[in-house]
Amino acid sequence: MRRKNPFIYYGGKLAGLAVSVFVLSLAVFYIARLAPGDPLVSYYGDRAEKMTAEERAQAEERLGLDEPVHIQYTRWLGRALQGDFGISYKYKTDVTQIIADRLPNTLLLGGTGFAVIFAGALAVGALCAWNEGNLLDRIICKVGTVVSCIPEFWLSLVLILVFAVQLRWLPSSGAYTLGGGGGADRAVHLILPLTVTAAGHLWYYAYMIRNRLLEELRSDYVLLAKSKGLRRRDVLLRHCLRSILPGYLSLMAISVPHILGGTYIVETVFSYPGIGTLSYESARYQDYNLLMLLCILSGSVVILSNMLAQIISERIDPRMRGEMPAEVTEHG
Amino acid sequence: MSEILLDVQELTHCFRLGRNTVIRAVDHVSFQLRRGEIFGLVGESGSGKSTVARCIMSLIRPAAGKIRYLGVNICDPGQFRAHRKLLQTSRQLIFQDSAASLNPRMKVADIITEPMAIHHIRPPRGSLRQEAAFQLKCVGMDPSSLDRRPGELSGGQRQRVAIARALSMGPELLVADEPIASLDVSIQAQIINLFQHLQREHGFTFLFIAHDLAVVRHLCDRTGVMFQGRLVEIAPSKELFDNPLHPYTRALLSAIPIPDPRLERARVPQRFDPAQFCREGLLREVSPGHMVLREEADR
Amino acid sequence: MDERFVLIGARTPVPPPLPAPKWYDGKPVCSMAVLAFIMLGCLCCEVFLPKDPAYMDLLHAAVPPGSEFWFGSDTMGRDIFSMIWYGGRASLLIGFLSAAISAVLAVLFGAVSGLAPKWLDGLVMRLTEIFLSIPSLLLIVFLQAILGRASVWSLSLVIGITGWTAIAKVVRSEVRQLRNSEYVLASRCMGGGFFHILRKHLAPNFFSSIMFMVVMNVRSAIAAESTLSFMGIGLPLEVISWGGMLSLSEKALLSGAWWIILIPGVFLVVTLLCVTNIGSWLRGEGEQRGNNL
Repeated sequence: MRRKNPFIYYGGKLAGLAVSVFVLSLAVFYIARLAPGDPLVSYYGDRAEKMTAEERAQAEERLGLDEPVHIQYTRWLGRALQGDFGISYKYKTDVTQIIADRLPNTLLLGGTGFAVIFAGALAVGALCAWNEGNLLDRIICKVGTVVSCIPEFWLSLVLILVFAVQLRWLPSSGAYTLGGGGGADRAVHLILPLTVTAAGHLWYYAYMIRNRLLEELRSDYVLLAKSKGLRRRDVLLRHCLRSILPGYLSLMAISVPHILGGTYIVETVFSYPGIGTLSYESARYQDYNLLMLLCILSGSVVILSNMLAQIISERIDPRMRGEMPAEVTEHG
Repeated sequence: MSEILLDVQELTHCFRLGRNTVIRAVDHVSFQLRRGEIFGLVGESGSGKSTVARCIMSLIRPAAGKIRYLGVNICDPGQFRAHRKLLQTSRQLIFQDSAASLNPRMKVADIITEPMAIHHIRPPRGSLRQEAAFQLKCVGMDPSSLDRRPGELSGGQRQRVAIARALSMGPELLVADEPIASLDVSIQAQIINLFQHLQREHGFTFLFIAHDLAVVRHLCDRTGVMFQGRLVEIAPSKELFDNPLHPYTRALLSAIPIPDPRLERARVPQRFDPAQFCREGLLREVSPGHMVLREEADR
Repeated sequence: MDERFVLIGARTPVPPPLPAPKWYDGKPVCSMAVLAFIMLGCLCCEVFLPKDPAYMDLLHAAVPPGSEFWFGSDTMGRDIFSMIWYGGRASLLIGFLSAAISAVLAVLFGAVSGLAPKWLDGLVMRLTEIFLSIPSLLLIVFLQAILGRASVWSLSLVIGITGWTAIAKVVRSEVRQLRNSEYVLASRCMGGGFFHILRKHLAPNFFSSIMFMVVMNVRSAIAAESTLSFMGIGLPLEVISWGGMLSLSEKALLSGAWWIILIPGVFLVVTLLCVTNIGSWLRGEGEQRGNNL
């Protein structure tokens, strides 16, 4: 591949991102309004059901819900481009404010989860590859398969049952104790959700690392390195691990939204105040403005991480350089 | 003179590689194939031979030019569609690499009868399997191979299977794109003789593409020489080899090794400088059936 | 052997022949048997069910396992043993149905995208990407809301629609790789149409890699159903399924009724594990080559 001008390269990627986010917002806007449900319930609560037709019309006009969808969309888009994403129907405050309150919690959970998975998968995968076929490898493989089969919500339930209800060691819900709590308190609250998040994904990546490493170990350059007299440890860590690392990095980049998305369920079960519970509520109760911003946020994370993965594999992986795509048009 | 089966006129095709590189793979190539003849097309790699073959087989739509087959202009999508069945059954192609052109997951019997299955033709010899066995026997193979897969066959056997598949439809025109290039020398001879035998028996018209000049001389009635997308010389094979006119043809012929080592060592190789060969001008007939690419000024 | 020739010095001992591989070697027999047992049990559960799974015996709510209720009863007084077998039907059906739906969608989209010209392929892939960037949970909520009241069929459809993209990507890349291979060209030359090439040449090649993913989709569909029903956006409460049974667990947690959480969950996990084992067997593990290290 010819090295393009980096400005053009990254500029093109950014333009792609913008277009994708635009299409995404359009799609979500229409799907959300297509779905049956009454947004007034989320604004007025039970009161909405007792409203007269006149009151309803007034309320809808006030929220701007009486106009055709495309006008609503253009108005929303115009405001959004100025940074005004509207207010949440349920919380009656600015949606950016609500999200800003909750986002750190999710980032804390997702970020530590991601770090644990990233490092843990490398360690476990390398350990298995090192001991291929041994008792240890087989035990880890079996345990890993079983753990990866357990649905996250059930694992959460069992952990709560054991550690919170029976043993009373750990808190069962929330991100911190009401009215106080410092770092230690937060950490204690984080243990169970973090365990579930990591357990759900760790084995998937560890197993992939193990298999990639084993594939590498079967290639000829390993034989050469060994014949040069390198120690086994050096061959595995210096040569094999290095050659699978770009692939692993780009895979992990793709999996960022996956792991963050996995926290949805965990947040719900542990009543952890994060983005996940918020998205779920906003989708169920037609809290349109909140929903739009959340979807755009999570969508951008997905698209960005995909791009990151692509950039890693195109620019960082030395093996991907120098490829020349030749396309042949055909008919017949 | 016998009837013209295939008429290629001013065939041109370009490949776009990247944003500003365009390669002219085939550049105003014209030639005719008469019914029942063996026509050889030679040239170095990259000279556009395979592209000509793929255009003739409608695998590539040429950028310009006309190809008439039995009076049908196959470059025209409308006419192509109208005569689709005729075109697809009576023209057959044999690829260079038989390992790639046979699906490794299919059995030999299924491979040979695939064209029949596509066109729902009732096999003339009863069942599809009997038909496959018959075709296999025609190309000199034992019917015991019917249930094998291409991976279990040798290169020569695979190419025979590919030939059997092409012949199962009783084609009028057989195009072979370097069919022997990936084979051992001894197998090459077998396959060449098989082609000769089959052509005599079935009487199909045969476009044989190769870069091995000795083989072309042995097999073909007429030969065309391609150089960087241009057809630079066409002549009856004997005439071409005895009296080459275009400088590129001469250079090419001088590269044929002479079997006698003493003569071979004594020979002064001709200088090979692609820039000096004429690529411009028109094909002109210098003697009956012998055409050479020449610039106007030469005359 | 020809008697005029006698090999000298080449008296290598012939190794004793390896025992012939048994038919079950390398196959996940145990998983298959357990899965078959569970499926059979769910299919013919009417024959042996001790109680009506839907009957709410409010006098005996949350009874621990015993002779009356073998696996205990839930907080609404239903018999868990009966519910497991009966509810397995819905869970398994959704698993297989949505895997089938997603497989069909994936093969169609993947093949079209793989055979299409570059711009169309790029467009399809971009749209897939955007589709993927809507969190699947939200997508399911939306789709479910559009389809109306949840039933086994609508839920299968929803899960199937959200689960095809990964397979489609595999199909697409395989097709792109194969489409310029000479045997596909040869087949097109002979006049083979789209479906002929797909069926004869492409499908057999990606079948094995797909098969594994489809089986894994069965697993994730069962898991998705249980998660959704647990969160209350899946099947309605009166349709019994494994996930639905677990949705009562909040009350169970408070009262410490472990059997309501553990027993259906264990069934769920065992089923998922069996499916996973079969899936990884299909991927063709177990071929071992020497390690150079």
